[in-house]
Amino acid sequence: MKRLLYSMIAAFALATPALAEQTITLGASVQETGRLANTGRYYRDSYEFAVQKINERGGVKVGSEHYRLALKILDNQSDTNLSVRQYTQLLTQDKVNFLLGPFASDFALADSSVAEKYEVPMIEGGGASDQIFSRGYQYIFGTLPIASKYFESTVEVLAKLDPAPKTVALLYADDAFDVAVAKGTREQLQAGGFKITQDERYSSNTSDFSSLISQIKASASDVVLVAGHETEVLNFIRQSKSLDYSPKLYAFTVGVPTADFRGALGHDANFAFGMTSWLPSASLKDDYFSNAEVFAADYKKQYGYDPDYHAASAVADVEAFVKAIEAAGTLEPKKVREAIAKVDFESLYGRIQFNATGQINLPQTVIQVQNDSVVPIYGQKGFLAKPRYPMPAWDRR
Amino acid sequence: MALLLQILVNGVLLGGLYALMALGLALVWGVLNIVNLAHGAFIMLGAYVSFYLFTLLQVDPFAALPLCMLSLFCFGYLLQRHVLNLIVRAPMFNTLLLTFGLDVVLMYLAQIVFSADFRVVNPSYAGANFSVAGATIPLVRAVAFAVALTLTLAVWLVLVHTRLGRAVRACAQNLVAARLYGVEPRTVYALTFGLGAALAGAAGDLYGVVSQISPYIGDALTAKSFAISIIGGLENPLGVVIGGLFLGILESLTSLYVGPTYTDVASFGVLVLVLILRPKGLLGRAA
Repeated sequence: MKRLLYSMIAAFALATPALAEQTITLGASVQETGRLANTGRYYRDSYEFAVQKINERGGVKVGSEHYRLALKILDNQSDTNLSVRQYTQLLTQDKVNFLLGPFASDFALADSSVAEKYEVPMIEGGGASDQIFSRGYQYIFGTLPIASKYFESTVEVLAKLDPAPKTVALLYADDAFDVAVAKGTREQLQAGGFKITQDERYSSNTSDFSSLISQIKASASDVVLVAGHETEVLNFIRQSKSLDYSPKLYAFTVGVPTADFRGALGHDANFAFGMTSWLPSASLKDDYFSNAEVFAADYKKQYGYDPDYHAASAVADVEAFVKAIEAAGTLEPKKVREAIAKVDFESLYGRIQFNATGQINLPQTVIQVQNDSVVPIYGQKGFLAKPRYPMPAWDRR
Repeated sequence: MALLLQILVNGVLLGGLYALMALGLALVWGVLNIVNLAHGAFIMLGAYVSFYLFTLLQVDPFAALPLCMLSLFCFGYLLQRHVLNLIVRAPMFNTLLLTFGLDVVLMYLAQIVFSADFRVVNPSYAGANFSVAGATIPLVRAVAFAVALTLTLAVWLVLVHTRLGRAVRACAQNLVAARLYGVEPRTVYALTFGLGAALAGAAGDLYGVVSQISPYIGDALTAKSFAISIIGGLENPLGVVIGGLFLGILESLTSLYVGPTYTDVASFGVLVLVLILRPKGLLGRAA
């Protein structure tokens, strides 16, 4: 009996090293609760999904050794200050190897300073403001398109419409990301010869747009461009309808590609223009998920909702770390940082190659809701489908 | 000129909804001396009641109004009876802590139960409107405005003319004397808190029709209701209506003349001014 016990202990002792495989831990603080939880969930779920898939495919090869990926996610409750404290905690107490980003520019702006201070690379797919990348930081990389170029492709579309719109109203929320979008858009509109009739910054927690809409209505602008958050976009469209206002075209930075948006608005979502840096197409090949179409289907099966570009961008962040670590052949943060700067690979999100400031170059595809579904309208190669323009008045739909 | 008229109309309609939101908070504050920081969360719950009645049972949001009020009344009554009554004699700070905690709990429970998705109560007539003298008036907002005024008037009549109303006011003015006259404060408090919650439920029902519902709408609504209560004063429901209308018009005019990013600066700036110049509210008698 005793011998059996000993042999069991011995067998267990021999077995344990195989269980305790070496791990690389990626740490992130995301919005699992709080006002941004609606978008934060894309990051939590995509990080988890990517790590799961990469481990299924054999994990990460560092030199001659095999590592498994592990994930440490904290909930920042949609609070920027808490998020900074949590990133500090991830590095000082939890000793994670590398950092993945939070959602939203204000968060990434603050959190990237933690990465920079501790000289540990962070790859984030949730903050697009130019401000994050204009401070000369070495350890921050981002996979969203540059904020100031969000409306660039939309402005190109405006110039090609018939009858061509002349006047544009530009509305934007007063946070880091939307201010950056507005700054870039203003320059593109001026360069394109459009007249900006209204240039209004509104408070981020406003839920009443009736006065703003009345003003735009009075100025009779052809086009309205709104850079804001999803709830504001929904309010804007609903209140436009109740004030009987429909410009020839309106376009929004966020909301339009999501199922949530169409669900909330129903038929009123039609004719809204938006943008996405990602569409789940089979032509986007990926080493771990085969391609973007497969990814989108698997994601929906596992999490019960459709992924959008936030999700794809988050997956690309995890993959970029894997590629960089394998190329560096070490877990030393400085060397991995150098390797990240040099990565160049095709992913389900698109080509990942960082420029000198740490952002990738990814054009926005202009989309429009037509007959209750999202239709890609204009991409890098020109028009993909015919835009519905000008938008009919509310009572003629 | 047409624009100014439109902006004023917008402000008045917005103000009516603001007044209804603040009414419950002001009532509870005035009578129980509890600043209910969970008031916005009650509005949020009312909005969800209306949302589920609308999507699951196809109940029109205006028809659902009594149901929203009733369910929130029961919720508020029980909450006061079994939770808040424990600290009704405690210093103000304790009541703040308790209601703040309640706010957080309700908000996170709502996220778990309802998810963080934006919800909309979108009946077929939600975008309908009509014109008066060149100003476009959204139908839903106009009806919401009328409902808000009617409810305020009803609360005022109850407070002034019924036995219950007199008991409520007696408790607010002099608790010892009210007890000597046979008023049972425990019941009065629970009924008042229930009524406050019912008004929040009504506000939530209307809010869902004009804006989006998410578990996180509460805090901003509490802040706004708080400002309106201070501006209008706690003594009388009509003060809250004046406060709401004042704030609605002020925000609309600020948006037109100064810029929409400054609406909060204007409304909370006025709050500070009122606290300095007329600490009992615009309609309140000077101390």
